[in-house]
Amino acid sequence: MRLRRQVRPVSYIPTASMADIAFLLLVFFLVTTTITVDRTNVGLPTSMERTEVPKDAAVIAIEEGGVIHFSDGKAQSHVLNLNDVLLAAAFVMEKNSLKWFVIKADGNARYQYIDQVMEQLRQARVRNIAMLTQQEEVG
Amino acid sequence: MKIKKKSQGPEIPTASMADIAFLLIVFFMVTSVFSVTRGLEFQLPKQETTPQTTQEEAIHIHIIPAGSDCIFEVDKQQMALSDIQRYIEPKLARNPNKFVIIDPDPDAPYRCMVDAFDELKLARVKNISIPTQAEKEAWGDIL
Repeated sequence: MRLRRQVRPVSYIPTASMADIAFLLLVFFLVTTTITVDRTNVGLPTSMERTEVPKDAAVIAIEEGGVIHFSDGKAQSHVLNLNDVLLAAAFVMEKNSLKWFVIKADGNARYQYIDQVMEQLRQARVRNIAMLTQQEEVG
Repeated sequence: MKIKKKSQGPEIPTASMADIAFLLIVFFMVTSVFSVTRGLEFQLPKQETTPQTTQEEAIHIHIIPAGSDCIFEVDKQQMALSDIQRYIEPKLARNPNKFVIIDPDPDAPYRCMVDAFDELKLARVKNISIPTQAEKEAWGDIL
Protein backbone atom coordinates (compact mmCIF):
# COMPACT_ATOMS: atom_id res chain seq x y z
CA MET A 1 0.00 0.00 0.00
CA ARG A 2 1.23 3.45 -0.84
CA LEU A 3 0.99 6.03 1.89
CA ARG A 4 -0.06 9.47 0.86
CA ARG A 5 2.25 12.28 1.72
CA GLN A 6 0.85 14.37 4.57
CA VAL A 7 0.23 17.99 3.71
CA ARG A 8 1.75 20.09 6.48
CA PRO A 9 -0.20 23.25 7.32
CA VAL A 10 1.98 26.35 7.38
CA SER A 11 1.98 27.86 10.87
CA TYR A 12 1.36 31.58 11.18
CA ILE A 13 0.02 34.10 13.68
CA PRO A 14 -3.06 35.94 12.42
CA THR A 15 -2.29 39.64 12.55
CA ALA A 16 -5.17 41.02 10.51
CA SER A 17 -7.14 42.09 13.59
CA MET A 18 -4.09 43.54 15.36
CA ALA A 19 -4.85 47.09 14.25
CA ASP A 20 -8.49 46.76 15.38
CA ILE A 21 -7.43 45.64 18.86
CA ALA A 22 -4.83 48.36 19.04
CA PHE A 23 -7.32 51.05 18.07
CA LEU A 24 -9.87 49.73 20.55
CA LEU A 25 -7.31 50.07 23.34
CA LEU A 26 -6.29 53.47 22.02
CA VAL A 27 -9.87 54.75 22.13
CA PHE A 28 -10.24 53.38 25.68
CA PHE A 29 -7.20 55.28 26.92
CA LEU A 30 -8.21 58.42 25.04
CA VAL A 31 -11.62 58.40 26.70
CA THR A 32 -10.50 57.51 30.23
CA THR A 33 -7.43 59.72 30.42
CA THR A 34 -7.98 62.90 32.38
CA ILE A 35 -5.40 65.60 32.70
CA THR A 36 -4.43 65.78 36.34
CA VAL A 37 -3.87 69.35 37.43
CA ASP A 38 -2.34 68.42 40.76
CA ARG A 39 0.21 65.70 41.41
CA THR A 40 0.98 66.48 45.04
CA ASN A 41 1.64 63.26 46.88
CA VAL A 42 -0.55 63.18 49.99
CA GLY A 43 -1.87 60.35 52.17
CA LEU A 44 -5.59 60.96 51.88
CA PRO A 45 -7.88 60.17 54.81
CA THR A 46 -10.39 57.35 54.37
CA SER A 47 -14.18 57.45 54.39
CA MET A 48 -17.11 55.13 53.63
CA GLU A 49 -19.33 57.81 52.11
CA ARG A 50 -17.91 59.22 48.88
CA THR A 51 -19.38 61.17 46.00
CA GLU A 52 -17.95 62.09 42.63
CA VAL A 53 -16.22 65.45 42.50
CA PRO A 54 -16.80 67.70 39.42
CA LYS A 55 -13.93 67.33 36.97
CA ASP A 56 -13.09 71.01 36.47
CA ALA A 57 -13.00 71.84 40.18
CA ALA A 58 -10.23 73.99 41.63
CA VAL A 59 -7.81 71.99 43.76
CA ILE A 60 -6.14 72.98 47.01
CA ALA A 61 -3.62 70.37 48.11
CA ILE A 62 -2.27 70.58 51.67
CA GLU A 63 0.80 68.57 52.59
CA GLU A 64 1.42 67.13 56.05
CA GLY A 65 3.71 70.05 56.91
CA GLY A 66 1.16 72.64 55.78
CA VAL A 67 2.59 73.47 52.32
CA ILE A 68 -0.29 74.56 50.07
CA HIS A 69 -0.57 73.84 46.33
CA PHE A 70 -3.27 75.63 44.35
CA SER A 71 -4.78 74.98 40.92
CA ASP A 72 -7.77 76.73 39.37
CA GLY A 73 -8.76 73.47 37.67
CA LYS A 74 -7.13 74.30 34.35
CA ALA A 75 -3.48 75.14 34.98
CA GLN A 76 -1.04 72.89 36.84
CA SER A 77 -0.91 73.46 40.59
CA HIS A 78 1.73 75.68 42.15
CA VAL A 79 2.85 76.37 45.70
CA LEU A 80 0.93 79.20 47.30
CA ASN A 81 1.24 81.14 50.54
CA LEU A 82 -1.65 80.79 52.94
CA ASN A 83 -2.33 84.53 52.72
CA ASP A 84 -2.66 84.33 48.93
CA VAL A 85 -5.36 81.62 48.98
CA LEU A 86 -8.07 84.25 49.50
CA LEU A 87 -6.95 86.25 46.47
CA ALA A 88 -6.56 83.17 44.25
CA ALA A 89 -9.97 81.79 45.31
CA ALA A 90 -11.66 85.17 44.83
CA PHE A 91 -10.17 85.37 41.33
CA VAL A 92 -11.60 81.94 40.47
CA MET A 93 -14.99 82.81 41.99
CA GLU A 94 -15.16 86.00 39.95
CA LYS A 95 -15.25 83.89 36.79
CA ASN A 96 -17.61 81.23 38.11
CA SER A 97 -19.50 81.80 41.35
CA LEU A 98 -20.62 78.14 41.52
CA LYS A 99 -17.10 76.73 41.20
CA TRP A 100 -16.30 73.64 43.26
CA PHE A 101 -13.16 73.60 45.39
CA VAL A 102 -11.50 70.31 46.21
CA ILE A 103 -9.46 70.06 49.39
CA LYS A 104 -6.84 67.37 48.94
CA ALA A 105 -5.20 67.33 52.34
CA ASP A 106 -2.93 64.81 54.02
CA GLY A 107 -4.75 62.84 56.72
CA ASN A 108 -1.97 63.49 59.22
CA ALA A 109 -1.86 67.25 58.62
CA ARG A 110 -2.83 69.38 61.63
CA TYR A 111 -6.43 70.52 61.40
CA GLN A 112 -5.23 74.10 61.88
CA TYR A 113 -3.95 74.20 58.27
CA ILE A 114 -7.28 73.06 56.88
CA ASP A 115 -9.12 75.48 59.16
CA GLN A 116 -7.09 78.42 57.88
CA VAL A 117 -7.72 77.44 54.25
CA MET A 118 -11.46 76.97 54.94
CA GLU A 119 -11.60 80.43 56.50
CA GLN A 120 -9.97 81.97 53.43
CA LEU A 121 -12.42 80.13 51.16
CA ARG A 122 -15.34 81.32 53.27
CA GLN A 123 -14.13 84.89 52.93
CA ALA A 124 -13.84 84.40 49.15
CA ARG A 125 -17.54 83.39 49.24
CA VAL A 126 -16.84 79.83 48.12
CA ARG A 127 -19.87 77.60 48.76
CA ASN A 128 -19.13 74.19 47.31
CA ILE A 129 -16.30 72.24 48.84
CA ALA A 130 -15.33 68.59 48.55
CA MET A 131 -12.77 66.86 50.72
CA LEU A 132 -10.96 64.16 48.77
CA THR A 133 -10.87 60.78 50.49
CA GLN A 134 -9.91 57.22 49.78
CA GLN A 135 -12.34 54.33 50.05
CA GLU A 136 -12.33 52.90 53.57
CA GLU A 137 -11.71 49.17 53.73
CA VAL A 138 -14.56 47.32 55.43
CA GLY A 139 -13.60 45.09 58.33
CA MET B 1 6.18 52.13 -31.17
CA LYS B 2 3.59 51.70 -28.52
CA ILE B 3 4.83 51.68 -24.95
CA LYS B 4 2.65 49.76 -22.60
CA LYS B 5 2.32 51.47 -19.23
CA LYS B 6 1.78 49.29 -16.25
CA SER B 7 -1.08 50.96 -14.31
CA GLN B 8 -0.84 50.67 -10.54
CA GLY B 9 -4.05 50.69 -8.51
CA PRO B 10 -4.22 53.44 -5.85
CA GLU B 11 -3.78 52.25 -2.29
CA ILE B 12 -3.31 53.61 1.21
CA PRO B 13 -0.39 51.98 2.97
CA THR B 14 -1.74 50.43 6.13
CA ALA B 15 1.16 48.22 7.08
CA SER B 16 2.46 50.64 9.70
CA MET B 17 -0.99 51.42 11.12
CA ALA B 18 -0.66 48.91 13.97
CA ASP B 19 2.79 50.27 14.84
CA ILE B 20 1.46 53.81 15.11
CA ALA B 21 -1.54 52.66 17.14
CA PHE B 22 0.64 50.70 19.56
CA LEU B 23 2.98 53.64 19.93
CA LEU B 24 0.03 55.83 20.92
CA ILE B 25 -1.26 53.15 23.31
CA VAL B 26 2.10 52.96 25.05
CA PHE B 27 2.13 56.76 25.32
CA PHE B 28 -1.32 56.87 26.95
CA MET B 29 -0.51 53.92 29.22
CA VAL B 30 2.60 55.67 30.47
CA THR B 31 1.04 59.10 30.93
CA SER B 32 -2.29 57.95 32.43
CA VAL B 33 -2.62 58.32 36.17
CA PHE B 34 -5.50 57.06 38.22
CA SER B 35 -6.48 60.15 40.14
CA VAL B 36 -8.83 60.09 43.10
CA THR B 37 -11.93 62.00 42.13
CA ARG B 38 -14.22 61.10 44.99
CA GLY B 39 -14.70 62.62 48.40
CA LEU B 40 -17.01 64.19 50.94
CA GLU B 41 -19.09 67.16 49.86
CA PHE B 42 -19.41 70.11 52.18
CA GLN B 43 -21.15 73.46 51.75
CA LEU B 44 -19.87 76.56 53.42
CA PRO B 45 -22.56 78.89 54.74
CA LYS B 46 -23.37 82.14 52.97
CA GLN B 47 -21.75 84.99 54.82
CA GLU B 48 -24.84 87.20 54.98
CA THR B 49 -27.32 84.66 56.28
CA THR B 50 -25.35 82.45 58.61
CA PRO B 51 -27.91 80.81 60.90
CA GLN B 52 -26.86 80.94 64.51
CA THR B 53 -26.53 77.41 65.75
CA THR B 54 -26.96 77.32 69.48
CA GLN B 55 -25.72 74.65 71.81
CA GLU B 56 -29.23 73.83 73.03
CA GLU B 57 -30.37 72.69 69.62
CA ALA B 58 -27.12 71.23 68.31
CA ILE B 59 -25.02 68.18 69.02
CA HIS B 60 -21.48 69.23 69.72
CA ILE B 61 -18.57 66.96 68.74
CA HIS B 62 -15.23 68.06 70.09
CA ILE B 63 -12.15 66.32 68.68
CA ILE B 64 -9.11 66.28 70.94
CA PRO B 65 -5.72 64.98 69.76
CA ALA B 66 -4.26 62.04 71.71
CA GLY B 67 -0.88 61.03 70.33
CA SER B 68 -1.38 59.89 66.76
CA ASP B 69 -5.08 59.27 67.42
CA CYS B 70 -8.02 61.32 68.69
CA ILE B 71 -10.59 61.42 71.46
CA PHE B 72 -14.16 62.22 70.45
CA GLU B 73 -16.26 64.13 72.97
CA VAL B 74 -19.92 64.20 72.00
CA ASP B 75 -21.94 66.60 74.14
CA LYS B 76 -19.10 66.45 76.68
CA GLN B 77 -19.25 62.64 76.87
CA GLN B 78 -16.21 60.77 75.66
CA MET B 79 -17.16 58.05 73.18
CA ALA B 80 -15.70 55.82 70.50
CA LEU B 81 -16.12 56.82 66.88
CA SER B 82 -18.37 53.82 66.21
CA ASP B 83 -20.75 54.90 69.02
CA ILE B 84 -21.41 58.36 67.59
CA GLN B 85 -23.94 57.06 65.05
CA ARG B 86 -25.85 55.18 67.77
CA TYR B 87 -25.92 58.30 69.96
CA ILE B 88 -27.15 60.57 67.17
CA GLU B 89 -29.79 58.36 65.54
CA PRO B 90 -32.55 58.70 68.24
CA LYS B 91 -32.01 62.46 68.37
CA LEU B 92 -32.23 62.61 64.61
CA ALA B 93 -35.44 60.55 64.64
CA ARG B 94 -37.04 63.22 66.86
CA ASN B 95 -35.70 66.10 64.78
CA PRO B 96 -34.35 65.24 61.30
CA ASN B 97 -33.00 68.79 60.92
CA LYS B 98 -30.85 68.53 64.02
CA PHE B 99 -27.63 70.49 63.75
CA VAL B 100 -24.32 68.82 64.50
CA ILE B 101 -21.25 70.94 65.12
CA ILE B 102 -17.83 69.39 64.55
CA ASP B 103 -15.24 71.26 66.54
CA PRO B 104 -11.76 69.83 65.98
CA ASP B 105 -8.83 71.01 68.04
CA PRO B 106 -6.29 72.91 65.86
CA ASP B 107 -3.67 70.27 66.71
CA ALA B 108 -5.89 67.28 65.90
CA PRO B 109 -5.05 65.38 62.71
CA TYR B 110 -7.30 66.20 59.75
CA ARG B 111 -8.28 62.53 59.29
CA CYS B 112 -10.11 62.58 62.67
CA MET B 113 -12.35 65.37 61.39
CA VAL B 114 -12.98 63.37 58.19
CA ASP B 115 -13.78 60.27 60.29
CA ALA B 116 -16.34 62.20 62.35
CA PHE B 117 -17.78 63.84 59.21
CA ASP B 118 -18.07 60.42 57.56
CA GLU B 119 -19.92 58.99 60.56
CA LEU B 120 -22.40 61.87 60.42
CA LYS B 121 -22.92 61.40 56.70
CA LEU B 122 -23.57 57.70 57.28
CA ALA B 123 -26.11 58.63 59.98
CA ARG B 124 -27.81 60.84 57.32
CA VAL B 125 -27.32 64.06 59.27
CA LYS B 126 -28.49 66.91 57.02
CA ASN B 127 -27.01 69.86 58.86
CA ILE B 128 -23.34 69.51 59.63
CA SER B 129 -21.42 72.59 60.66
CA ILE B 130 -17.65 72.88 60.89
CA PRO B 131 -16.98 76.39 62.18
CA THR B 132 -13.57 77.86 61.49
CA GLN B 133 -11.47 79.29 64.31
CA ALA B 134 -12.47 82.83 63.26
CA GLU B 135 -16.15 81.90 63.31
CA LYS B 136 -15.79 80.33 66.76
CA GLU B 137 -14.23 83.52 68.05
CA ALA B 138 -17.09 85.50 66.50
CA TRP B 139 -19.68 83.21 68.09
CA GLY B 140 -18.05 83.68 71.47
CA ASP B 141 -19.38 81.51 74.25
CA ILE B 142 -21.85 79.54 72.13
CA LEU B 143 -19.32 76.77 71.72
